[in-house]
Amino acid sequence: MNAQNQRETERLQKTGVRVQNEISRELEALRGRPDHMPGYDYFIDLLAGGIRPDVLEKRAGKPALNLLCVQAPLELIHAAGFLPFKIFSGSYAADALGADGRLPALTCPMLRAVRGIFRLNDSFSGRPWVLPTTCDWIVNLPRMLRMDNPQFAKWFHWLELPHLKDGDAARERWLAEVFGLKKFLEKTTGVKIDRKRLAASVAVYGRAWEALTRLEERRRAGAVPFVWFLIIANSFFLDAPEQWTNAVNALLPALRGNENKNRVFFAGSPVFFPNFKIPLLLEEAGLTVTGDDLCSSGRVFPGGINAEASSEYEMVAVLAGRYHEGCLCPTFADNDRRINSILGDAGNFEGVVFHVLKGCHPYDMESCLLEEPITRRGLKFLRLETDYTAEDGRNLLTRIEAFGQTL
Amino acid sequence: MALTVTSLRTVTQYLSFIVFMYGGRFGVKLGSAIPCFACPYVRGCGGQCYLMGLQGVFGVGMSFEAMRGAPLAAALGWLLVFIILVAALGKTWCGWLCPFGLFQDWFSLLRRKLGVRERILTEKTKRALAPIKYILLAYLLVLPPLVTAKILHQDFNLPFCNICPGKSLLPLFEGNPQYLALNLSNAVTLTFSALLLIVTGVMLIGIFFKDRFFCVFCPLLALIHLAKPLTFLRLSKNVDVCTGCGNCRRVCIMDIAEVSAERGGPDVQTGECLDCARCAESCTANGALSLKWLRFNLFSSSRLYASRNLSRNTAGASKNAGSAGKS
Ligand code: SF4
Ligand code: SF4
Repeated sequence: MNAQNQRETERLQKTGVRVQNEISRELEALRGRPDHMPGYDYFIDLLAGGIRPDVLEKRAGKPALNLLCVQAPLELIHAAGFLPFKIFSGSYAADALGADGRLPALTCPMLRAVRGIFRLNDSFSGRPWVLPTTCDWIVNLPRMLRMDNPQFAKWFHWLELPHLKDGDAARERWLAEVFGLKKFLEKTTGVKIDRKRLAASVAVYGRAWEALTRLEERRRAGAVPFVWFLIIANSFFLDAPEQWTNAVNALLPALRGNENKNRVFFAGSPVFFPNFKIPLLLEEAGLTVTGDDLCSSGRVFPGGINAEASSEYEMVAVLAGRYHEGCLCPTFADNDRRINSILGDAGNFEGVVFHVLKGCHPYDMESCLLEEPITRRGLKFLRLETDYTAEDGRNLLTRIEAFGQTL
Repeated sequence: MALTVTSLRTVTQYLSFIVFMYGGRFGVKLGSAIPCFACPYVRGCGGQCYLMGLQGVFGVGMSFEAMRGAPLAAALGWLLVFIILVAALGKTWCGWLCPFGLFQDWFSLLRRKLGVRERILTEKTKRALAPIKYILLAYLLVLPPLVTAKILHQDFNLPFCNICPGKSLLPLFEGNPQYLALNLSNAVTLTFSALLLIVTGVMLIGIFFKDRFFCVFCPLLALIHLAKPLTFLRLSKNVDVCTGCGNCRRVCIMDIAEVSAERGGPDVQTGECLDCARCAESCTANGALSLKWLRFNLFSSSRLYASRNLSRNTAGASKNAGSAGKS
């Protein structure tokens, strides 16, 4: 091994330790919070295992399939015998590791951190990958990852996402894509995804969504602090969905409502563990998050699938429709009704906090488009642009506190 | 069975089926202006489909002179009853009460059980078929006076009943297959009975492959829709809440695109809508779709309701598919 290689190995080892420290520190702090309840420990333990598909596989006894974004129908993947594993990371150390080299200065921190954890352990390779073509970062991710490991995905599948949702033409193209995914899954596993398997998987995620919806209801009543909600939602992909659902259902009766002050809705770029900087600052400033539509939280999976539909074809079509038309991702061109997911809930908050990760262009763009209609409704709007570093914390807090006073 | 809109609707459909098909045997006589296929060819039916009443105003042995006075008053009376019934209940007559609607739903159930794919009509086909029910309505309004005027042979009497699959199929439920046979009396009756057989066959195939296929052509639906300005029941949408997810369109038994596509205003009760409220039931946006009776909200969509309901449905569907898979 030459000197350069050795330096690299040492660096990776050090970063690995740092990532683990970040996770442990955050989880320790969570356990020590006054609002900690025993029911949350289940989810803390899930996150303690690290964001690794091999850990999920061991825990759930099924092979994992790597995934990003929220448009690939989970039920289809589950029906093929896989556990969908959404790769994410909010680790600053991983972000720093992923940032080196030839990437643009203003790369999305989430993507950099994903690259970072990808370099830290090879458990992502050797498993199938499914990527929907959402934002510019995601579509370049595979080439980015190949810079570090040319062999990174033996089974790789693109899901070409039509950036229009309305109209038969877009729907048909997407349906063909979803059938393409089905074929890919069947080829990879040798399992024929028939209607019986599909119906069983749809039922699994149907129960999970019911649990998530009940949790949202409790949060609306002020019974679930945002940080805990995020812990639960973030850990969804670290567990078999059945077990996760049971744990949420077991937690629900213990969640009691609180008097809500300074209620806000949280939208924008996703928030991923262990980077809970913004949620913690909101808390410090005395704001209560009563709703969110982040793809890492309230929209972690779309749910709402009606699969009374009888045939295999119809089930796939229903899944495809819901995952496409029901998706509010700002990478869609005809996304004008997206605002309704915020305003439709307007009775439950006084302001909207919009989170933009530096380098996350789609949400950056969206924040400009949404501010006007939101303020026109008499709601306050705060745009927070940040990244995974801790340095801007004090600054942000001052702004959030000032915002809180306007509510 | 949990209390849901669908379970309530199902119970209502069965009760209504019993009342309209067999009610007469127990003394139930609900008159001649029923806005659904309470088919008078079913012996012992509990009420009579207004389409027969409407065609029967004119007809055999009648003359325009003789119709003045009492017969005309009676006809106007039944029209008034029809309007009141439609005003009060709107198209729940189609979605909740029509015996032939339930009959069609059995075929949908069978199709689901067998795992056969529903053939959804394209928007283009739907647009092309939509006028047919109005053409049939015109046909059943225009021909009877021509019989009265003796321009047409008397066997052109009740021209719609003569080709209505309700006439051929519903009497089977009281053991009467008589209208499935050719009527050889003369060329007119032979033509009509042959036509009825063909229509029946096409409809049986149609309703197996497509939910409520017959409703696409139903002149009674057309008539009820014409009375829409008078009705108290509304399917209404809050366009400021809808996120366009399309759940409503995907569960709609009539595959109505407008219900999800509509962005302009609250009226999503199209000509094809049957007021079944399945859309509102599976909408995941709080308050996006509501069924209203005058100012009263009968049901409004809710995320929590949808999540519970869909989770129950999918659990059921999973069991169904499982047992079908095993057998
Ligand atoms: S639009 Fe709604 S109420 Fe009307 S037929 Fe379709 S599902 Fe039923
Ligand atoms: S189901 Fe509800 S939110 Fe979805 S498109 Fe229909 S009305 Fe809109």
